[in-house]
Amino acid sequence: MPPAAATNLGYTPPDGGWGWAVVFGAFISIGFSYAFPKSLTIYFKEIQEYFSVSYSEIAWVSSVMLASMYAGGPVSSILVNRYGSRPVVLVGGLMVSGAMVLASFGTTIIHLYLCIGVIGGFGLAFNLQPALTIIGTYFQVKRPLANGLAMTGSPVVLSTLAPLNQFLFDSFGWRGSFLILGSIVLNCCVAGALMRPVNKSAQPKPKTEPPLCNGAAAEEDAAADTGAQSDNLLTEENQSENKSQGHIRKFIDLSLFRHRGFLIYLTGNVVMFFGFFAPVVFLAPYAKHLGFDEYSAAFLLSIFALVDMFIRPATGLLGNTKWIRPRIQYFFSFAVSYNGLCHLMCPLAHGYIGLVVYAVFFGLAFGMVSALLFEVLMDLVGAHRFSSAVGLVTIIECGPVLLGPPISGALVDVFGDYKYMYYACGVFMLAPGIFFFIMHYYNYKRLDEEQRQTVALEMRTSEEAVELKMSPDDKIAHETDG
Amino acid sequence: MKLLWAVSALLLSCWRADASTAANIVANPPEVSNQTYAVLTCNLTDNLAIKGSYWVHNGKIIEDSKSTDTSPYITHTLEKITHTSGGKYECVFLTEPQVNQTIEVKTLPHVYAYKHSEHGNEKDKGVLVCMSHGYPLPTNWNWYKGDDEDQEPIINGTSDKYEIRSTPNKTTLTINDLSIENDIGDYICSGTNELGTNKDKIHLRVRSRLAALWPFLGIVAEVIILVTIIFIYEKRRKPDEVNDGMYTMKSNSTANHKDKNVRQRNSN
Repeated sequence: MPPAAATNLGYTPPDGGWGWAVVFGAFISIGFSYAFPKSLTIYFKEIQEYFSVSYSEIAWVSSVMLASMYAGGPVSSILVNRYGSRPVVLVGGLMVSGAMVLASFGTTIIHLYLCIGVIGGFGLAFNLQPALTIIGTYFQVKRPLANGLAMTGSPVVLSTLAPLNQFLFDSFGWRGSFLILGSIVLNCCVAGALMRPVNKSAQPKPKTEPPLCNGAAAEEDAAADTGAQSDNLLTEENQSENKSQGHIRKFIDLSLFRHRGFLIYLTGNVVMFFGFFAPVVFLAPYAKHLGFDEYSAAFLLSIFALVDMFIRPATGLLGNTKWIRPRIQYFFSFAVSYNGLCHLMCPLAHGYIGLVVYAVFFGLAFGMVSALLFEVLMDLVGAHRFSSAVGLVTIIECGPVLLGPPISGALVDVFGDYKYMYYACGVFMLAPGIFFFIMHYYNYKRLDEEQRQTVALEMRTSEEAVELKMSPDDKIAHETDG
Repeated sequence: MKLLWAVSALLLSCWRADASTAANIVANPPEVSNQTYAVLTCNLTDNLAIKGSYWVHNGKIIEDSKSTDTSPYITHTLEKITHTSGGKYECVFLTEPQVNQTIEVKTLPHVYAYKHSEHGNEKDKGVLVCMSHGYPLPTNWNWYKGDDEDQEPIINGTSDKYEIRSTPNKTTLTINDLSIENDIGDYICSGTNELGTNKDKIHLRVRSRLAALWPFLGIVAEVIILVTIIFIYEKRRKPDEVNDGMYTMKSNSTANHKDKNVRQRNSN
């Protein structure tokens, strides 16, 4: 982002220094949020036998946890807007930890639904949102890289938790394991402690460089009612503008629904998420269906996770380059479409080598989309409104995320063949990809126009400001007191 | 005398033959017990038109044994008889109507533990499972506690502690209220059929209730220490930053409106 947007933020993000410690904290928080529900499935068989319940009843624990995590998004956003990231993450860490400890003493399956599902899910929501938000406050120029690195937390923590959970289960049984997992999750509080609120007393730099990218700068200029359109150079006016808008943003920013970029993102994502997670869930079953043994199927997942792990920071690095940064929405659209193409080509894969090639390409695609998922949202709405935006996005995405795998499963059951599911997922991803390309082309054009308009406006107001400065001092003093 | 034997043998073989067949098939041997090698033979003594024959093992047709040979004498060789190759063998002749004869191949029961090492939690219940394959399945299951030398039989229903539930192919021993002193050790399940007995051993480990507590406390301590270090580090750095701001303010402050504006700008 150019220093032009930094002026609107009111301070210059450090783009380094303590920011890297914050990225590490976000890495841990995001990692636990995404990987923890998936890694708990190792205990399900044993718990199912212990409580004598059916498989679908035990699978509900995972679903309730995921649903709470997404539904808790807006609550999390409101709290972050009000109190900042750090307290929310600390509370979130304590909540998940407490939930796991309580669950280890559980006597019925309902106990598990409430503890792990509801309380644990909300705790993870309180970890995810603030972690994403705080990256936007610490980074501007290097933000795609920071986002890519933070999102790498998910595959890394999953690869660590999976064998660890197996070991804990063998040594301590499921109750002991839940107790110990409760303490491991408490490390999210360490991550929260690292999330020091950014120092906003830094002087804003003068606007010397031309804007590197559009997006939030022009949007905020266009959307802001009073401050941006006049007296932009006078920082006193800027301060009062931030105060009035701060009151609205204390809770949740519903004006986002009138934000063009946000609506594009939301529509595309809702369709995309129907086909995003299902192929991951069905990779191993598909391999087994084709006749490969369990170990080969599990190995495919490991290849996928390994590629995913390395491609996320690489995507962040790539998104940071001066060729891609200004048009990062196109990069995201490409990643989504590429995902769709991968799935459409999967049924053509022959033999184990074909599946390995598919796993590699799918890992590439999945990692690219994941790394850019929140970066493009930040790019569209700006760091100020990001926390509200991500809250609204997660609660609306809740539906597709929960419905996607079961629908795909139903497709497999009805047709008895996995290829229709892959075609469906491919379409679910290719269509939003193309939609993004078209809409963002249109969006960038509009943003360029608005940018030209505001630059012209600022030229006019700077002339007026020069005249104002020549007037007596007490007039300025009067305005600052007001 | 020989004629008498032949007639009685014929009568016996008729009596032994399948009720549904009027034809006579002489199966040799009629039954296989406790052997490692056997050749099963069937001889159709009636003059029926034979279009072919095949053998059936436990209800499944043995693909390799299908033949279109019209010979009334067919054989099937069992190289190494184990619990998987035991069971009911049928020789089937493709005649009008089809006729068959059954030969039973009996072996010792194959008894194996579902898991050779089981875990249980203190005061909780522990479940030990043994299964069996082969023919015939055990008619009698027994559980013993102790080593190979010193064994004590566990009898069902004598106390609340032990519960044994058995079916021909599976037996379950449930031990209630596990205690670390008394219940750790080896348990032996033994299954008996008409040929003999086989057994397997399971080792039971009882985890203390507090076993998981120590790692839990250790990790919680580590988290508290890290959080404290981070906060202390921050407190020690923060006064420096505040001082920087104040020094800037102090150097600019005079009792002047103009400087009040400058201060306002810095605090932005």
